[in-house]
Amino acid sequence: MIRDAKKEWLIALTLIAPFAAIYGLVFVYPTIDMFLLSFTDAPLIGAGDYVGLENYTRLTSDRRFDTAVWNTAWFVVLSVIPGTFVALGIALAVSRLSGRLQTAVLALFFLPYILPVSVIYLIWDWTLNFQFGIAMHIFDALGIDRIPVFKSATWFIPAVALITVWWTCGFNVLLFLAGLRAIPQEIYEAAALDNAGRWKTFSRVTWPLLWPITALNFTIQLILQMKIFDQVYLFSQGGRPNDNLVMVYYIFQRAFQNNHGGRAAAVAVVLFFIVIVVSVLNFQLMRFAERKQ
Amino acid sequence: MTPQTARRANLAGGAITILTVVCAVIWAFPLYWGIVSSLKPEDEVVRPYIELWPDTLTFEHYVHALTATQIGRWYLNSIVTAVGTTVLTILTSIFCGYALSQLRFPLRRPLYWLILASFMVPTQVLIINHFVLVANMGLLNTWAGIILPQLIHPVIIIIYKQFFDQVPKEFREAAVMDNASEWRILFKVFVPMNWGVTTALSIVVFIWSWNAFLWPFLAATKTEWMTITVGITQVNDAFGIYYARELSLAVLAGLPVALAYLLFQRQVTRAITLSAGIKG
Amino acid sequence: MADIVLDHVSKSFGKVRVIDDLSLTVQSGEFIVFLGPSGSGKSTLLRMIAGLETIDRGRLLIGGRECQTVAPGQRNVAMVFQNYALYPHMTVRENMVFGLRNIGMASDEIRRRVEEAARILEMDQLLDRRPSQLSGGQRQRVAIGRAIVKEPAAFLFDEPLSNLDAALRVRTRVELAELHHRIGTTMIYVTHDQTEAMTMADRIVVLNDCRIEQVGTPMEVYTAPASRFVAGFIGSPAMNFLPVEVINSDGQALATLDDGSTIGLPPDIAGRGRLDLGVRPENVGIVGEGGMTTGKVKVVEHLGDRTIVYVVLGDGTPVTAQTGGHSQVRAGEVVGLTFDVEGARLFGTDGLAQDQAAAI
Ligand SMILES: Nc1ncnc2c1ncn2[C@@H]1O[C@H](COP(=O)(O)OP(=O)(O)OP(=O)(O)O)[C@@H](O)[C@H]1O
Ligand SMILES: [Mg+2]
Repeated sequence: MIRDAKKEWLIALTLIAPFAAIYGLVFVYPTIDMFLLSFTDAPLIGAGDYVGLENYTRLTSDRRFDTAVWNTAWFVVLSVIPGTFVALGIALAVSRLSGRLQTAVLALFFLPYILPVSVIYLIWDWTLNFQFGIAMHIFDALGIDRIPVFKSATWFIPAVALITVWWTCGFNVLLFLAGLRAIPQEIYEAAALDNAGRWKTFSRVTWPLLWPITALNFTIQLILQMKIFDQVYLFSQGGRPNDNLVMVYYIFQRAFQNNHGGRAAAVAVVLFFIVIVVSVLNFQLMRFAERKQ
Repeated sequence: MTPQTARRANLAGGAITILTVVCAVIWAFPLYWGIVSSLKPEDEVVRPYIELWPDTLTFEHYVHALTATQIGRWYLNSIVTAVGTTVLTILTSIFCGYALSQLRFPLRRPLYWLILASFMVPTQVLIINHFVLVANMGLLNTWAGIILPQLIHPVIIIIYKQFFDQVPKEFREAAVMDNASEWRILFKVFVPMNWGVTTALSIVVFIWSWNAFLWPFLAATKTEWMTITVGITQVNDAFGIYYARELSLAVLAGLPVALAYLLFQRQVTRAITLSAGIKG
Repeated sequence: MADIVLDHVSKSFGKVRVIDDLSLTVQSGEFIVFLGPSGSGKSTLLRMIAGLETIDRGRLLIGGRECQTVAPGQRNVAMVFQNYALYPHMTVRENMVFGLRNIGMASDEIRRRVEEAARILEMDQLLDRRPSQLSGGQRQRVAIGRAIVKEPAAFLFDEPLSNLDAALRVRTRVELAELHHRIGTTMIYVTHDQTEAMTMADRIVVLNDCRIEQVGTPMEVYTAPASRFVAGFIGSPAMNFLPVEVINSDGQALATLDDGSTIGLPPDIAGRGRLDLGVRPENVGIVGEGGMTTGKVKVVEHLGDRTIVYVVLGDGTPVTAQTGGHSQVRAGEVVGLTFDVEGARLFGTDGLAQDQAAAI
């Protein structure tokens, strides 16, 4: 096509400018700023002195950092793995249905995902309330001792992970459903002609074809849950935040509650690299898996 | 298949269907329980047994929420920031996606890769610097301050690029033969041809923004600047805890997004699958 | 209305030369068809005229105005795309109006033109529909309407009928020819379908492999193909090519086939030596005995009004003959063949017709 290269460049520039300005201001600049800040002893707001790697070396003997790292890892394990399988189960069940029933059932499973975290918090804080929560009635009925889940260092992370699975599962269900829909019907018909039972059909047909979506689901959740903050913060209110720390929470605490901008930035940099490394590894792994297929 | 095994398979299928429905109901039960509890008087809420329907149905907690808290103000903050974020994100993404898809200019590839790479960067780690930046700009406790850091959604750009890529090149050529300027090609041909995507993406960006917690929580240090998502967690009654009141706040905060979802179910699910990189 | 002159134009995609030093003059008001096999560069040439492809070298004149660097919209030509490219979100009227609005035309004038186009194409009742609510044939008409309202100097069509079913294609073909007759605007039409080319064109431009093989009226192209390629490409079943040795004997031109039989040629035919004799199937006769040569029938196709007979000569040369509808010939028979050499052509090893070669 006859293209006026200069004019096109100008138009492109105009179109990209708004995005580029915002991107530079709230993405590129803060990222660079974060690195710079992590080498200083600055408070949250205001200048500080250059301290080299001190903020990083201090992390090695920082008990709260340790807690944050382990809690995050524990949370990731407890939310991602069950989350994937529960979502797969729901998706398989929902995909069997059709018409309005399917829409309705899917809506019931999906509804929590659409709600803000604070709503989830209030509902579950109430449901698992030590004195009056409906879950405790059920515990009583089953003869289990009541547990003040959000006040207990042992149960806090598992409980929040469980609630997170309940909250975000709908998203993963959608992805699985999209994956299931992408499997051609003829393959199932062929399997039926071969007299394959339900389990055989699943293990020999559905599961292998669903594997890429499972990997995608897993990856998305993994990266998402490493950045957990909201639920942990909310459920810790009035509890024992120092036992429940996760990475982002620790950044928040250092920066906003202890007024240590520099030290918080160092934690942020660590998390930044962990997420990037995991993302890149994942990406490579997916590519590798794709090539093998 | 013999008729017998067929019947058995049917029975099993029916049983699985019923089980699925039961599970779905149990799954959503906490939501129901939260709503029902918010409609009970405070003394009924704390009864030591399960009542699936209130003895005395009351809206007193909603009246209280609407009159005694700043929820009206929070609604306004949420609506303004969510709509602002949505409009700005969608507009800038349309522009950028169109340039990436349809125009040839230097640095196009590097820009594309830069945007793809930024998928990986966790915005949560930037909270300190966002806070410093917004504070220095004097935008703490303003709508603009809440909106600004929420404008990074590179995935929306990529989705637009993909959809614009799929428009057959004859449409662009026809428009060029029709003497349309670049702006008219964008707004009169490409955008209208992809209204479906724009609707779907607008709804999800709105929901994301409405539900955002961490940044609005940091950017609003005064209660009157909180969005509803943040505000409802910050209500502390001086004397004791009023569970039903809190739940009525939760219902009020969740209602708009829940309605948006129930009304636009198809678009929401489509947009969410799209945002994960899957063509729905 | 305008004439279009291509003056030594060239075009490459990267290293691939698609149009090579091509010159062509389209008369004002003429219906010109670009005909050629897939990949011969027809679309590219058309798009160069439209401005959708750049012209690397050479000049393009539309109505005397030099246009090779003018923007597509400013060339005063209108294009009808193969898939129509009707804007799906606009009604038929909006589709037609879009281009006029873009140049800021007064709304009275726009209304007049839309009404005029709707009248010409008989589509008043379609104006407020969306393309998705139209049948394939109606869409095609709207696409033409969108071109008509521009009142362009020339219409460019790129295989506009290929998305229609066979019956509709024939009907639309006639309508298009009629339309040209009525509005008399220059039209350039790209197709790989020789029937379309033969029925509609004032002149056909046969393209092959970056080059023009021949320009001529349908009858010229059919009866006097300038090259073996044109001869083989136009006409169905395709022309027969018999390897012959042409000699002069007593002022007579004699062609000797590889099986030894000889055929007398018109005395004035150009070319002597080892050549290919081109004879159209309808000029090959099948006789019981007394033929110029004999061959064995391989396949017989009865098409009702005519019969196609595939014969192999003694030396293995295949010959296709077309005879009347009631031929009794059967496969396996040995038959005699006659050749009506009145319209026969001789082609050299370079593929050029001998009279052409002599002219050069
Ligand atoms: N944008 C392009 N980039 C590279 N090569 C191209 C491009 N467009 C066309 N070509 C090449 O140019 C040659 C001519 O293409 P063109 O589309 O003009 O053929 P055509 O005669 O219209 O064929 P068809 O009948 O299949 O439409 C082909 O070899 C094609 O591969
Ligand atoms: Mg073509």
